Amino acid sequence: MEFPRYHKDIVSDLMSGKFILASDPKFVSLKETEDFYTQFFKESFGYELEIKTDFAYILSYETGEQLSRDICLFFAILSFELDKDGKNFLEEIQYAEFETEKLDEYFTNSSYAELILNNNQMKDAFSRKQFYTTLNRRNIIEKTGENKFTFTQAYKVFIDFAADFAKGKLNAASES
Amino acid sequence: MLKAEPKTILNFLANYFDSLKDLFDIQAADGIIQRERLAQVLAERNDNIEVTLLEYKILRKIGEDFEFRDTYFKLFEFILNEFRPLLPETIQKYEQSIGKLFQKIREGVKGDTLILRNRIDDLYNEIKEFSEAVEKNTIRLLAETRELKSNVDKLDYKEKVRKASFWIDYYIIPLNNILDINHVDSITNKLFDISQYTNVRRLNFNDESIRVQFEKLYTFLVMTNDNLLRQSKLLTNELLPLIERIRTESIILTGWIEFLKQPYKSPVPKIFKPERNYPYSNDMYLNAKEYLEQFITEENILVEDPIANSDKWVFNKELYRSKMLEQLPIDSFFDWCGLTLRSEYKDIETDKFFALTGLLFEDDITLELDETEKDRKLIKTSQMTLRVPKIKILKYGIS
Repeated sequence: MEFPRYHKDIVSDLMSGKFILASDPKFVSLKETEDFYTQFFKESFGYELEIKTDFAYILSYETGEQLSRDICLFFAILSFELDKDGKNFLEEIQYAEFETEKLDEYFTNSSYAELILNNNQMKDAFSRKQFYTTLNRRNIIEKTGENKFTFTQAYKVFIDFAADFAKGKLNAASES
Repeated sequence: MLKAEPKTILNFLANYFDSLKDLFDIQAADGIIQRERLAQVLAERNDNIEVTLLEYKILRKIGEDFEFRDTYFKLFEFILNEFRPLLPETIQKYEQSIGKLFQKIREGVKGDTLILRNRIDDLYNEIKEFSEAVEKNTIRLLAETRELKSNVDKLDYKEKVRKASFWIDYYIIPLNNILDINHVDSITNKLFDISQYTNVRRLNFNDESIRVQFEKLYTFLVMTNDNLLRQSKLLTNELLPLIERIRTESIILTGWIEFLKQPYKSPVPKIFKPERNYPYSNDMYLNAKEYLEQFITEENILVEDPIANSDKWVFNKELYRSKMLEQLPIDSFFDWCGLTLRSEYKDIETDKFFALTGLLFEDDITLELDETEKDRKLIKTSQMTLRVPKIKILKYGIS
């Protein structure tokens, strides 16, 4: 039986929780053989394959809720602090390069200090550095230097969540 | 009638431009220039020009206050590129005036040439005013939107949403409707009809002077239509996306702020949780860390002063006082203190010892210092060794 190109890498990446990005040649192969992989992951492991315009990932019944919550907290605080700093946070997340030192400054001086200090991934510069390694491993960020990174398109999973969350909340507020 | 030469007035405008610009800003913001504000602005620069401003008919008096005459206000708007945005309903009035004039021209095209010429002139002017009004609005809306986008005023996200929604709902969308060529009733559409009509008339009208006028109107209409199309594109391609983006950003921020209110009770997006790990895998360490961290629940640790937990010894003066009085006379007071404490506790604690020595100052006793005892007595407490004199205690009065 002939398998699609990059089969081993595609399966290995997705099974280790990575987002496969549109800039990766694997993405093209995955997209071309979408039906095959949808069925493959469903039949082999019971996982759902999600292919968006610029990234792909798989989902299981049991999800990494803790990590997802930490990532949401990270994006939420970062967006809030960037906005407070007078920046267009969405543009920054989409296009800017972040220096960990600058992020440390934001997190250290944040008004959400209590949430930050009580979170294992964000409580101090060292924890955050390890957290960036996790994000990098999942392809949510891409390291561009020793202490620099940019966000990949996978940021959309979390930013879209925030918009949906607001709409849900706003709807709830207007209904009540 | 103006007594001054036109050049003198223009020189005056140039010489006192800074004060005039400040006055223009005041009127643009408040709609009027109050007497006190005028005096304040002129005093700041030592410009004693109030009388001249009225004499040159730059300002006009409104009761006690002032305002720019329209000509000068428009001049400043134009040279400073700062226009007051016109409400789309104000711009809409041109639809009626242009439509009416066009209808009259068509009906009277075979009538009197003089009135026809005047109508063509008026139509030309109305279209010019309409086109300028649209252009001014677009310039102002772009400036407002860019300012909102760069957020120089550091507005909070709610205020930004409010402002963005305001510009979209009251200015940009209605203005876009006026300019939308696909809309049957839009002014732009009407201008295209006029353009087609004048195109024919400029070629086949009998009277040459009218033909020239139609020609002039036609050329102007072609230019205006191009300009309006450009304004419309600016609105749909630049302004709307720009301002929509501000709105989107603010919605996302609203979502995050709501989320941060209860981050551990809110739902979160689903992400994959790797299930199989091999000890020799490159990712083993981080996977294991990620797995274990979800079970870590950090409990608050309260560090309290240990003294606060121990039973604090409280000196029961009455108890020891009665004990002392019962045992009078006491040969050596400090020995008594030591013995009493040792009978109750394992060691003689310094604090307790000193507390007991306070009994020396009670009223019912008499003290006698045994001067024959040369060497002082040594009493060992938990923290130190005390050298104390021998003091005899007797009952006060006759014992």
